[in-house]
Amino acid sequence: MEGLLQLLFNGLSVGAVYALFALGYTLVFSVLGVINFAHGAIFTLGAYFTYLLIGGAVGANGLLAGLQLPFALPFWLALPVAGMAAAAVALVVERIAFSPLRDRGSDPLLALITSLGAGVILVNLIQLLVGAESYSIPVGTLGSLPAALSIAGAKVRTVQVILLAIAGLLLAALSIWIDGSRSGKALQAVSEDPVTAQLLGINSGRMIQIAFGISGFLAGVAGGLVGLSVSIAGPYFGIGYGLKGLGVLVLGGLGSVPGAVLGGLIIGLAEACVPAELSGYKDAVSFGFLFLVLLIRPQGLLGRPQPNKV
Amino acid sequence: MDAGLLEQMLLGALLGLSVYLPLRCGQLSLATPGFFAIGGTVAALLSTRVPALAGSGSTYPITSVLLEMALAALLTGVLALGLGRVVLQLRGIYLAIATIALVEILRVVTLNLEFTGGALGIFGIPQPFDSAAGYAAFTLALLALICWLCDRLEKTRPGRAMAAIRDDELAAASQGINTADSKLLAFVLSALVAGITGVVAAHFLNSWNAKLGNFDASITTLAFVVFGGSRTWLGPVFGGLLLTALPELLRPVGDLRLIVFGAVILVGPLFFPQGVITPELFKTLKRIMRRPPTPAAQGERP
Repeated sequence: MEGLLQLLFNGLSVGAVYALFALGYTLVFSVLGVINFAHGAIFTLGAYFTYLLIGGAVGANGLLAGLQLPFALPFWLALPVAGMAAAAVALVVERIAFSPLRDRGSDPLLALITSLGAGVILVNLIQLLVGAESYSIPVGTLGSLPAALSIAGAKVRTVQVILLAIAGLLLAALSIWIDGSRSGKALQAVSEDPVTAQLLGINSGRMIQIAFGISGFLAGVAGGLVGLSVSIAGPYFGIGYGLKGLGVLVLGGLGSVPGAVLGGLIIGLAEACVPAELSGYKDAVSFGFLFLVLLIRPQGLLGRPQPNKV
Repeated sequence: MDAGLLEQMLLGALLGLSVYLPLRCGQLSLATPGFFAIGGTVAALLSTRVPALAGSGSTYPITSVLLEMALAALLTGVLALGLGRVVLQLRGIYLAIATIALVEILRVVTLNLEFTGGALGIFGIPQPFDSAAGYAAFTLALLALICWLCDRLEKTRPGRAMAAIRDDELAAASQGINTADSKLLAFVLSALVAGITGVVAAHFLNSWNAKLGNFDASITTLAFVVFGGSRTWLGPVFGGLLLTALPELLRPVGDLRLIVFGAVILVGPLFFPQGVITPELFKTLKRIMRRPPTPAAQGERP
């Protein structure tokens, strides 16, 4: 029983991060119809921002060697600030890699390439500035909280509980915003039909920026949380998550917000169920799922079928 | 120029052609590195584990390399035939993601299997040529052959059918083109080119591991085609040669080189949405060659 509960917790906390990550993809995909391949790099940035904001110092390599901010924020404050900084970067990426192509009415496929270019630049800038070594967020970051909690007899790492709670909170806030607010409804309208939405007086350019901003914030926070729970494994840290996020996205259904959450949790739980002796194959789980879903139900679990455009 | 760099550039051009083939009928497949990795693994396994292939001379026999290429082509071809039927039912971004998934699954499996050498890979792959120049000459011949075949393809019925599918799949189907078969043909040809290239690369690199067929490789090869252009075979060849050389030529810039490489991918599509090399470019060039440019001729095309 305890083992099962532990498994559930592991799976849910990993899955929640995947969901946060995939939501960023979904928001951008739903308004633009393209996938932002720089998303993984923004996730990585979020982790580094969090590390710096809580007072971490840059290592010996890279141009910023030895740099340390003159102040140190507590983790609960550093995380949202890092998320906002990541959002700012996402907006810059939109400005440089997406908006010029959109203005020219180019093939959406090209945005995939330009966003990759942006991702390559970001990852290598990080490497240039802070070096390629991994960073770990110090143990005392969470103050006097114990390292592990005992829930119904199962030992669960506090970090995982925090991760699950923050991710859950953000997911709930986002779905309330999308379904309950004027701007959230405008976002839905743009994703439904950008031309009609424009005619109805919705500034679709503005909605696209909002989607990028939120997407960057979620990626940044997810990066900070993973950085806290494991460590920041160098500038390429986000790429693996970026690929898994694709799996999550397709499993749930491209463009579907509840789908991204469901997909994240399913893949997180599925990975947690991979027995230790086969752990090398864990990374193939999400892609195996993805592949099967694409073949059986290409629109994903909660997505709508794609119309066959003439 | 350094022959080693030239060899890498030629391999890049071959991979560019592999991405170009499905893209010629509008199918964005990112499976090329997967088939490349299969070719490389076949070469690595055969040349290090089968003593009969090694021959008696000081260098590894070319005939053995050709045999490896034939086997790699057979394996990738059969695999692509089976997978293609299923995967090509998907379109656009769905096909792209499905092929990324294929490549990743393959990478994870190779990483974990005992006989492919796990994370370390296979070392000491024997050399058929004693210098990089030998490799470059061999690969140049291979590239020329494949370019010629691609040129034939563009000028014959199956190739024209592919271009028609790219422009409008429904219209092509209504004209009696078997769209499923054309797309499958392009996918299989793409796999063959990648598999054969993998064999050459494995010998040239001397060692082979799972990292060589990862997502980064998918993206780099795609960039070759997007930058060079996917309407004619010359585009991916140009893109592959130039973009492979670029990071190396920029080595004096040091750590900035990958950033510059990223910047090229970032701004390339803005200035050349169809890629640098397009059929229109040829027409313009031909016209300029035929008669000296007069103000009237220049004004013909905006």
